[in-house]
Amino acid sequence: MDGARTLVRFPLTPHPDPPRVPALSEEQRRRAYSSARKPEVVEKQRLPVRYHVEDFQLQDRPRRFLEAFAAILKHTNYRLALEHYARVSAKCARCTAQCQVYLASGDPRDIPCYRSELLLGVYRRHFTLAGVLRGRLLGDPGLSDEQIQQMAESFYNCTACRRCWLECPMGIDHGLITHLGRYILSEIGIAPRALVVSTREQLAGATGNTSAIPVPALLDSLEFLSEEMQEAKGIEIPFPVDKVGAQYLFLAPVSDFLMEADTLMGIAAVFRATGDSWTLGTGNYDAINYGLFYSDHVLEHVLRKIRQEAERLQVRAIVIGECGHASRTAKHFYPAFCGGPDALPVLNIMEYTHQAWKQGRLKLDPQAVRERVTYHDPCNIARLGWIVDQPRELLKAFCPNYVEMTPSGRENICCGGGGGTVSIDEIRPYRMLVGGRVKAEQIRATGARYCVAPCANCKKQLRELVEEYGLDCEVVGLHDLLYKAIVFEPETGSGEARGASVD
Amino acid sequence: MQAWIDFGRGPLFRLAFALMLLGLARILALSLAAAAEAYRRNADRIVDWKQMAWRTLGWLAPAAHLWRRRPLYGTLSFLFHVGLLSVPAFLGAHILLWRRSIGLAWPALPQALADWLTLLTLVCAAGLLVGRLLDRRARAISRSQDYLWLLLLAAPLASGYACSNLAVSPRAYQWLMLLHVYSANLVMALIPFTKIAHCVLAPLSHLVTALAWKFPAGAGDRVAATLGFAGQPSWIEGARAGVAPTAPARSGEEIYSR
Repeated sequence: MDGARTLVRFPLTPHPDPPRVPALSEEQRRRAYSSARKPEVVEKQRLPVRYHVEDFQLQDRPRRFLEAFAAILKHTNYRLALEHYARVSAKCARCTAQCQVYLASGDPRDIPCYRSELLLGVYRRHFTLAGVLRGRLLGDPGLSDEQIQQMAESFYNCTACRRCWLECPMGIDHGLITHLGRYILSEIGIAPRALVVSTREQLAGATGNTSAIPVPALLDSLEFLSEEMQEAKGIEIPFPVDKVGAQYLFLAPVSDFLMEADTLMGIAAVFRATGDSWTLGTGNYDAINYGLFYSDHVLEHVLRKIRQEAERLQVRAIVIGECGHASRTAKHFYPAFCGGPDALPVLNIMEYTHQAWKQGRLKLDPQAVRERVTYHDPCNIARLGWIVDQPRELLKAFCPNYVEMTPSGRENICCGGGGGTVSIDEIRPYRMLVGGRVKAEQIRATGARYCVAPCANCKKQLRELVEEYGLDCEVVGLHDLLYKAIVFEPETGSGEARGASVD
Repeated sequence: MQAWIDFGRGPLFRLAFALMLLGLARILALSLAAAAEAYRRNADRIVDWKQMAWRTLGWLAPAAHLWRRRPLYGTLSFLFHVGLLSVPAFLGAHILLWRRSIGLAWPALPQALADWLTLLTLVCAAGLLVGRLLDRRARAISRSQDYLWLLLLAAPLASGYACSNLAVSPRAYQWLMLLHVYSANLVMALIPFTKIAHCVLAPLSHLVTALAWKFPAGAGDRVAATLGFAGQPSWIEGARAGVAPTAPARSGEEIYSR
């Protein structure tokens, strides 16, 4: 694995701290935590959270929570982790130095260990012998509605970036607890409406994708993009659709078709340059998987849909576009849900591009982008060291003025929109003032003109941050810049095929 | 009084020690069995063993993390662990005890070194306690056991040091020895049931985390079916709205135990 060498450092290498950020002013705090929800709805739903939730049943919430918790423990592997974490948690507070939410909010309830304890406490009380006995002896009534409300708020304040996990001496993965907590909550009807509605369209809607883009509209925009590229590069760069037997099935986060034309053009250009056969499928062209953010049930069904399309088109591998969570869900969970060890291989587009470049199948103009460029590691692909070095090597090949953020790589700071929170528009002030506060400082410190963020969610959040904090920086995808740098060989392109450089 | 001390050093020590060993062996065995089960029920059997091993080793060699963040806390904590592990096992007087109770002996630490280590450990314990009390971040997440453990661990260290170094009256000596023996026994007996269980469990953390992120195929459907929502996935509008909460009321434990 290419990222493996970043896993271990010489023991005494100083690890850079995240930038310090000014404390929230009273006014900022009020704005960050203000809720767009009507007080009467909050009252009616007995749920003081800032995200919208669909109406649901309120009776017996604690009992239903425990039922859902028990059912999930029964059928999954989470119990192993809960049992372990509940035993070893030493409450050392090291994680406080890592959490960008806590660094910005200063609220003890945002300490990763505090958040995890909300669920671990319920686990201890209701699912361990000692807890049950103690509860009976002390007459403790057990899980209360207030605790559920607290969890519903807390688990969506976390961006599930898992940076705290790097710092935990006991190896507790607080991101896993957030993930599980959200799954249990979703089984009793508590999940952000923004995520649920998108999933509904993807799994049960007419268009079958989270942005509700119908096939004709997709084909239209692909045709338009091809024309654009023909004009700019002077050669035909197609978007193959429904090509049975192609080598790669490409799935982008579907919002790219609306908002990230440059990324898609860059990807098409890469495939054009390498000459490998690839295809989009009209049966499923959406890699987004909100299941990672709130429900394993959803996660599995979204992946099964990808499998159907891959089998229909008889491809040999699946390539996911520039998207952190979609790449991680496909890479990490596709084998588990879709065929075990024999499942189709899954690649992120950056891996593919990097490989092609290494093999000499992709020529890049070394002076293509002369402005200062920095790279933002999306948590879902960098935290485990999966894709860390590849995009850097690519960027350094055509950006003479490349700078790193501090810290970066596996330890990079979350954009503040992770864990699906970026899709919840009603909590934007929170994402700006709390979640993304440290990130904004980090970008400002680089002084970069371009911030490369190969993830649809990061891009959206970072653009909003740039606007909020007035940074002079443009947020782009890796392939947006690659598009400018790719040099087409004379024999495959016409005379003007050389990539134009930007200034 | 001497009879009580002898009882504490003899049968009670053996009991506490056995409780500790068997208790730790039990949770270790249960954890490994649960990990094997998790591995078995995950369909893909893909675990990045190499990466996991590196991560585990990284934390088992604390020097790698000592200087990173909160260096004072890290240093105190590291030295505290060194003293806690070495002094009880390698003190000359204890080795006599080991030989008497389990029939094994090993080289002892020089007495002077052991004394200094004991003092150092006590200073570290005090530092950790003060740190926990003063740091608002640590205070926010501390439970009572997090404070009590530092005191409980300091008790045998302080009394043991006093016994071997301070000139006190025989009466006071006996009281100190009583405190030393009984607090040490209490520590050993409690270890498997509290957070100190991390002494055997911590090396498993990364294995456990990696396996917990392995989702068994079909688990989501089975969870929905268990909850009475079979065929009514959460993403179909209104699908679950009409379903009454599963009656009759069942507790979480009942579901889990089938």
